[in-house]
Amino acid sequence: MNLATLRDRAQLAEPRDLLRNPVVLSLLVLLALFAAGNLVAPGFASYGSFVNTLRIAAFLGVIAAGQTIVILGGGEGIDLSVGKIATFSTVVVAQVSQGEDERLLVAIAAAFAYCGLIGLANGIGVAYLRIPPLVMTLGMVGVVTGIIRVYSGGQPEGRAPAVLSQVVNGTALGGVRGSVWIWLVVAVCTIWLLRRTTFGRRVYALGANREAAFLSGINVQRNLVLLYVASSLYAALGGIMLLGFAGAASINLADQYQLISIAAVVIGGTTLAGGIGGYLGTAVGAVVLQTMRNLLIVLDIPAAGRQVVNGVILIVLLSLYGRQRRLRQ
Amino acid sequence: MAFLEMRGVDKRYGGVVALDDASLSAERGEVHGLLGANGSGKSTLNKILTGVVAPDRASIEVDGADTRIDRPQDAHHRGISAVFQELSLVPDLSVTANIVLAFESTRLGFVQRRRDRERAAALLERFAPAFHGNTLPLQAPVGSLSPGEQQIVEIAKAIAREPDILVLDEATASLYSAQVEVVSAVVRELRAAGALVLFTSHRLGEIYDLCDRATVLRNGAVAGAVELAETTEAELVELMVGSVTAPAQEVVEGRGAASLEAARDVPRLEVEGLTTDRLQDISCRVAAGEVLGLGGLAGQGQSALLNALFGAVRIRGGSVTIDGQPALPRRPKQAVDHGIALVPGNRGREGLFPVRPILENLTVPSMRGRARFGVLSDAAERAAAVRAGEQLQIKYGSLDDGVMTLSGGNQQKVVVGKWLLTDPRVVLLDDPTKGIDVRAKAELYEVITALTEQGVAVLLNSSDDDELLALSHRVLVFFEGRVVSELSGNELTRDRLVADSLQVAAT
Ligand SMILES: Nc1ncnc2c1ncn2[C@@H]1O[C@H](COP(=O)(O)OP(=O)(O)OP(=O)(O)O)[C@@H](O)[C@H]1O
Ligand SMILES: [Mg+2]
Repeated sequence: MNLATLRDRAQLAEPRDLLRNPVVLSLLVLLALFAAGNLVAPGFASYGSFVNTLRIAAFLGVIAAGQTIVILGGGEGIDLSVGKIATFSTVVVAQVSQGEDERLLVAIAAAFAYCGLIGLANGIGVAYLRIPPLVMTLGMVGVVTGIIRVYSGGQPEGRAPAVLSQVVNGTALGGVRGSVWIWLVVAVCTIWLLRRTTFGRRVYALGANREAAFLSGINVQRNLVLLYVASSLYAALGGIMLLGFAGAASINLADQYQLISIAAVVIGGTTLAGGIGGYLGTAVGAVVLQTMRNLLIVLDIPAAGRQVVNGVILIVLLSLYGRQRRLRQ
Repeated sequence: MAFLEMRGVDKRYGGVVALDDASLSAERGEVHGLLGANGSGKSTLNKILTGVVAPDRASIEVDGADTRIDRPQDAHHRGISAVFQELSLVPDLSVTANIVLAFESTRLGFVQRRRDRERAAALLERFAPAFHGNTLPLQAPVGSLSPGEQQIVEIAKAIAREPDILVLDEATASLYSAQVEVVSAVVRELRAAGALVLFTSHRLGEIYDLCDRATVLRNGAVAGAVELAETTEAELVELMVGSVTAPAQEVVEGRGAASLEAARDVPRLEVEGLTTDRLQDISCRVAAGEVLGLGGLAGQGQSALLNALFGAVRIRGGSVTIDGQPALPRRPKQAVDHGIALVPGNRGREGLFPVRPILENLTVPSMRGRARFGVLSDAAERAAAVRAGEQLQIKYGSLDDGVMTLSGGNQQKVVVGKWLLTDPRVVLLDDPTKGIDVRAKAELYEVITALTEQGVAVLLNSSDDDELLALSHRVLVFFEGRVVSELSGNELTRDRLVADSLQVAAT
């Protein structure tokens, strides 16, 4: 901590500037995106279009909830395997249920169980074997890819049971789809978990100062394992919802969420260094990212170009994160 | 017109008034005390002078010239250098490298670098007696040094810039008496060379020893500017806290040490042959209601024992029992379950969650007891935090404010307060009063007394010899990881403590 950062911190502590609140900031970005889109394509900012955006953002929102928890826990915590775990979850549900409604619950239980085990392995690797989270979870992507290959023979069989598709895609109340309602429940539970439970307090404590957390009687390793298990369970749920939306599984259905889940977390104001942030920001971040994607589609930018833009946005965000990190030291 | 004149300094943080029309005037060749209770605005005034904090209003004159200090660089150019309560060293860099950073050599190159290193070594030589075993750890990473040694490096770094004005903001708070003497000698040299030293400390002894005059702040305003030679301790304390409090020591004097003799047969805490990397074969018994002091030179194993009893370091051998039950913790979690609490020696690194609110900082160690199936009640958490805040008189705006918005002394109270909420049976205190003001010290001594009356066993390490002697029923003197003597009854004198610490036979 040098003089300049002390000065910055002293000023940051003053609450006068609402614009420094990341949740407020990303809400403003969201408004700007809708306004811009509406200029290019009238109707972009309509109620129907907004509700449709939420419907798709729900999958990202759910998967990024786990990512938020892992990142909040600090210590370079990150879960690069959430996308692949979600994909695995779609494959498990499709194959175990074989599209039969009566086997859906068994299939869902299997998906949570298998994915939970993968999260457990991530957690043990990070907490007890002290493998850096980046390395551990990136390695896990490879492992899960292999498991999916073997398990599905390269071509997943089965499809989404009709009930699942109805729940995820069905409309209720003001044209809002099932996926959004599920997301809402997940969001409320996650915010409650982080703010009102001992687990949540421990997550923040671990991220804010791991040494002090240890010396406050927190079992650091066990709680680290829990972070990664939680993350994989959220990914599993996201995968299940995605299967209901897509109808059939494939061996890479949810892979794209690997990076954009991190982007959603960062846009939402959770610092990659841990200890600061929360799920509300991430949820807004997920809507921002989905809206941005819609905007690029409206602007007729081809898929390759969209990927480039997505990548650039991530780089910008992560370099901003570098600044935040310096501020903390 | 004095050499340094600060006038009409105002600063608020939101609703908190940190400084209210404060002023300060001091001459070259003077050590000027900047005194006041915790949260009275001393650090804020220091930070304004060094360009770290922007004031709402201020006029600063140095050497008769109006001076704008908007950024730390401006202060550097005016020859102002500072040591703050929060350390600013780079923990992974070596001691030499950290000091070399201060030189800001414009010319690069091998020769220049070697010259810088030699300068750094020469500078540190002046502080050599303050380091463990008197050997300068030039190549050691700063992070591996004890808090006191890091503080010394910090002071050396500030002096490396050859300042006209040196600000020492509680730079001696974590130093042992031998180390303080080394720093005092350097401060006197600077004074003789015509520099102005602004000296902030909560230890009255140091203030009377070093300072010529002092400015006393109370609630951000100047309560008085005094010549120390003409001011008694009582008058000074009155200026700082507004009312005369009993000198801290008297609070605990006259406790019934005799009744402890009987209790000692049934020890609350019993340690047998405890050995770690830094401790050899430590044995001791502490009765319920007893305060066992850990004395000696800085870093002879006092903190190491506290950490070992708390399960924070690997234990190689020995046994620990509490109330006759085996209680050798393998990690702090187990220690907490056994009813042990540790107030760690390094509050920033080991005690606080810096980016989190005061509420969470106070409640995390004890929240499990209040939660039902892991679910917290906001009202109960706040009530607990308020209770700790009241018990220790913590000065805060809102429990939801970040803990780093507190003044240094109030941060220290948070680190103590979070453990009071756990209802411990054994309390391990590693220099718990560093940075807290005279009144808060007296209050903390009362808290310790109250704990012992409830039958808590206390182990106390303190860098302040007077405090150690006043609070402890017995003192174990450490030297290089062993206990070399035990002082009790009328052996509890400063002379005996110093003699045994230095391993000199007392006569
Ligand atoms: N960054 C900040 N944000 C909000 N309030 C602050 C901030 N820094 C200081 N304060 C408040 O300003 C007041 C003065 O604090 P300051 O640190 O100057 O006290 P101090 O005299 O140095 O106390 P101590 O002896 O405990 O170090 C305190 O009430 C403190 O809570
Ligand atoms: Mg201070």
